[in-house]
Amino acid sequence: MADRFDDFLGAALAPAERLGDRKFVARVQAAIVLEKRLAAQRRSLITDLVQQLVAVAAVGIALWWVGRAEAVASRFAQSPALGLAILLTGFALLVALMSSRRPVATAGRH
Amino acid sequence: MPHSNDEDLALSRRAAGGDGAAFAMLVEKYERPLRSFLARSIGADHADDIAQEAFVKAWRAAGQYDGRARYSTWLTRIAWRCRLDALRKERRAEDAASEAAHAPPTGEVEDMLSRLSHSERPALVLCEGHGWTHPEAAELLSMPLGTLKSTVARAKAKCRAMWEGAEHG
Repeated sequence: MADRFDDFLGAALAPAERLGDRKFVARVQAAIVLEKRLAAQRRSLITDLVQQLVAVAAVGIALWWVGRAEAVASRFAQSPALGLAILLTGFALLVALMSSRRPVATAGRH
Repeated sequence: MPHSNDEDLALSRRAAGGDGAAFAMLVEKYERPLRSFLARSIGADHADDIAQEAFVKAWRAAGQYDGRARYSTWLTRIAWRCRLDALRKERRAEDAASEAAHAPPTGEVEDMLSRLSHSERPALVLCEGHGWTHPEAAELLSMPLGTLKSTVARAKAKCRAMWEGAEHG
């Protein structure tokens, strides 16, 4: 009885003898292709983010530097509202410029 | 390093270098035992999803396979971690044993496995069906070796009782 049971259990629990499942292999390959694409998109997003941060910082530094010039500083001191309007317009132009860049979703496609 | 690992190591290194065909060969070679183990241990519903996730992670980590363990052991470890992560996310403890316990045993292996606890099932499948050594299975299931041995023995005894009961019942 013990031998019969051991034989039964071993045979029942062993992986079934069959050929490789091509469908499953294709499914894994498709998942890997998707994974590669997502990784490329992530890299592209990070690159874009860094570029945008650098651009914003550069514009900020440029504005600060221009604002330090005596003529500009005195003009802003006389009319702070004009200074604020110029800053807001510049910021709006910057946002428009950034958002007009190519869509990130297509960046990783080969 | 056993010779049988050399081929898998070479394929894994090629996969790490971006060779999709090499990785497809590994998938084709190991999908059958992995999916069989998962289907027996956690049920057929989730087995293929977990197996697919494990293969994708194995592809991502292909460069980390060093050939010291069998590729199947390394892959099954990845799959088991995927399984534990999925369980943690779902926060759904499996209790198929109590669900099946009301019906009389049929003597079919699926029925027997469904009456075992969540730790008995994989231990029995690996050691009795897939030829894993007790230390290998203990490591995978994060169990002390003695506990693993007693778990396998207990699971086997339960199955034997059900099998004999079904034969004579």
